[in-house]
Amino acid sequence: MFELKPTINALMRSKLGAVLLILQLAITLAIVSNAVSIIQDRLTYLNKDTGYPEAEIFKFNALNFDKNLDLLQQVELDEQSLRDLNGVIDATAVSSVVLSGSGSSGGMQLKPEPQESKRVNMGYVTGDEHLLNTLGVKVSEGRDFTEADVVVIDESDARPSVIIVSRALSDELFGQGKGLGETLYWGADPLTIIGIVDTMANQWPKSSFGTKTAMIPMIRVGNFQKFLVRTEPQARAQVMRQIEELMLASHRERVISDVTGLDQKKARYDAKDVLMMRMLMTLIVVLVVVTALGVFGLSTFNISKRTKQIGTRRALGARKSAIVRYFVVENALICSVGLVLGGAAAVLLGQKLMNWYSVPALSYHFIATTAGLLLLMSLLSVLMPALRAANISPSIATRSV
Amino acid sequence: MFVHYIDLAWRSLRQTPLVTFLMILAIAIGIGVTMTTLSVYHMMSMDPISHKSERLFAVQLQTMDDGETWRTPDDIPYQLTYTDAINLDALPGDYLRAPMLRSGFSVHLNTASSKPFIENTRVTGRDFFTMFDLTFLHGNVWTEEQERDAAPVVVIDEEMAKQLFGKTDVVGESVFLGERRHEVVGVTQKWRPTIKFYDLNNGSFGKAERMFAPFSHVKAYDVDTWGNTNGWKFEETRDFNDKMNSEMLWVQFWVQLDTPQQRQVYGDMLMAYMQQQQKPGRFNRETLQYSLQDVNAWMNYNDVISEDNKILVGLSFMFLAVCVANILGLLLAKFMRRAPDVGVRRALGASKRQVFYQHLVEVGVLGLLGGSLGVLFAQLGLLGVRQTYNYYAGLANMDWMMLLSAPVLAISACILAGLYPAWLVCRTTPATHLKVQ
Repeated sequence: MFELKPTINALMRSKLGAVLLILQLAITLAIVSNAVSIIQDRLTYLNKDTGYPEAEIFKFNALNFDKNLDLLQQVELDEQSLRDLNGVIDATAVSSVVLSGSGSSGGMQLKPEPQESKRVNMGYVTGDEHLLNTLGVKVSEGRDFTEADVVVIDESDARPSVIIVSRALSDELFGQGKGLGETLYWGADPLTIIGIVDTMANQWPKSSFGTKTAMIPMIRVGNFQKFLVRTEPQARAQVMRQIEELMLASHRERVISDVTGLDQKKARYDAKDVLMMRMLMTLIVVLVVVTALGVFGLSTFNISKRTKQIGTRRALGARKSAIVRYFVVENALICSVGLVLGGAAAVLLGQKLMNWYSVPALSYHFIATTAGLLLLMSLLSVLMPALRAANISPSIATRSV
Repeated sequence: MFVHYIDLAWRSLRQTPLVTFLMILAIAIGIGVTMTTLSVYHMMSMDPISHKSERLFAVQLQTMDDGETWRTPDDIPYQLTYTDAINLDALPGDYLRAPMLRSGFSVHLNTASSKPFIENTRVTGRDFFTMFDLTFLHGNVWTEEQERDAAPVVVIDEEMAKQLFGKTDVVGESVFLGERRHEVVGVTQKWRPTIKFYDLNNGSFGKAERMFAPFSHVKAYDVDTWGNTNGWKFEETRDFNDKMNSEMLWVQFWVQLDTPQQRQVYGDMLMAYMQQQQKPGRFNRETLQYSLQDVNAWMNYNDVISEDNKILVGLSFMFLAVCVANILGLLLAKFMRRAPDVGVRRALGASKRQVFYQHLVEVGVLGLLGGSLGVLFAQLGLLGVRQTYNYYAGLANMDWMMLLSAPVLAISACILAGLYPAWLVCRTTPATHLKVQ
């Protein structure tokens, strides 16, 4: 029905064109399926919930340079004036900003240093009892910090005694669903888990420990102070514009910098991945276009070369549909060989990429889907020249050249 | 003859505008994609200080106890402790050396009209400027006495001088770092290496600092680092003094060693130093270890070229291969269709070699056109990169070398694609085609 044998025979007579198409399709499949896999991996990460209402939160820095300033008093003054601002839900001074890619990390363990015990890496943020509310997260188990939990680090030996952690951190340390009320050790200091938050990313959401976060009720003031503010959804831009003036009005000898939304912070942290995604998408699009043009160009050429033969076939009684079918079948044959080879190449490339770089394993359904789409594209690009071939008049066979 | 071939090529290309257009488009897209990723790669891998990169060394000491590991291939930490930096700086010998760290200050002129701004500052030794090729426009580096006494002095660059004072010759003027008055002793020419190779701790492509202060300020004014501080064991640090005496790692150290002998001597000195430090209980290890890596080795060690970029370069060369296969197919089609013409040319006395040559010239013209269009595509691509990722702004550019290599790459790719079709067409036997006609 498909006249496979004559098609194959004809192909074997002019191998090079077919080989070139096979090569193109194989490389295209290898590149596209791997690129799609990488894109998918980045997209999963980018769409992952961080737990924070990022569009309602912003941060800023204050760098004080007045040696005589009572830093603690100033911080409290600043927090109060921020909270009093119209449109602000809550505000707090923090040690570092989540999702920003910079801050403090360390290990939490089951036994105090220097004893050996299970140790889990995490990122931590310190602040006062407004910390969770400012970040817009709620404990799903246990309770939030109270004013009595908060410790100011100064000359005295006071240390915090409680901690709130993300579910990922407590699960890792104490097992699934456990952890509330347990004690973990931060260096030599014991901390009791009073609350667990289901989803709460740390400063490095992309890293292997990106979901393991700890909130510690502790204030350590310095000349360089970071603040977080959460506002009503619509009020953020307007509040952000007032910040510098407001802060300088209360104390002049300092610099206010980096007034940035948490979503923008995350966007900056993720810019590299977005770039990679865009580059890969561009690559895929142009690659598919170039391959389609290749299929189109080559079939056009083949058809013009065989004008006479087609005319002869038509004159001998072949239907138009038979001519179209011939070219489509021919193309499908070439395409299948290319895609089988390409599938193998894709697997190989995927393995190499995984060995050399931190790229996820290539799952086979990406290859299958890509191969299917490439076959469709290839058939579509052969269709137009084939239809034109079908319109070749039988009379052409009787003319010389 | 060459001009004649070019003329022939031009006619031939115009004869089949669609195929020509497709081929030029294919090569242009291929070159555009490849040059975009390659330009970024080229900028990332470029030697930032080529005339002396093999004489500048980043110093690393294995300070950690036996059994401790670090995230470097050889387990040696990137940075030094403050104690070691100070001690290495004091080692004898006639070579350039610079301990350094990045800090920052609020800078202002202490007048009502000057608004303070935050400025990253490199806190370092006097040799830094000679080692890394900074040029002084006015004044000079602080003196040895000023370094020793931690005198309140700074060196700023011309851009910052203009920003603060509206002119560059500002030696002797005062700037305030926080509440402290500092005297400007030197103004350097603008210095912005694309790769911040001397301090890769907080991203490789950050902006170089515009202000420099003596390293002795660290102790004198409690100048803490704004870069990374890494610990590897539990230490109670209550204040900055504790930090300076701790085993925490937060200082970078570079030396310039001009000869292999100097390197040998310096290495021996480092070993002796570590042995001597073992007496008070530091360097608690079986085998002592140090590392001296020159600029290029150091950039490699710090993975300056991003993984994503390496993947992209690989994929875009594969993409270029697809384009070449594509063009090969089209050229084959085009040349074979012209076989009758070639038959006539051959019959009129053109040698096989001449026909071959003529077709290669045609392919070369194709490559040149495609390459030029490809450069435009690459510029668009690089614009896209800069827009998406501002941090790469300094990297996503084509220098003259890349601009030149685009057409070269395009022509080579086209000639590679054209070799076989040209060979096939030059073998045409005149007789067969003449007969039919």
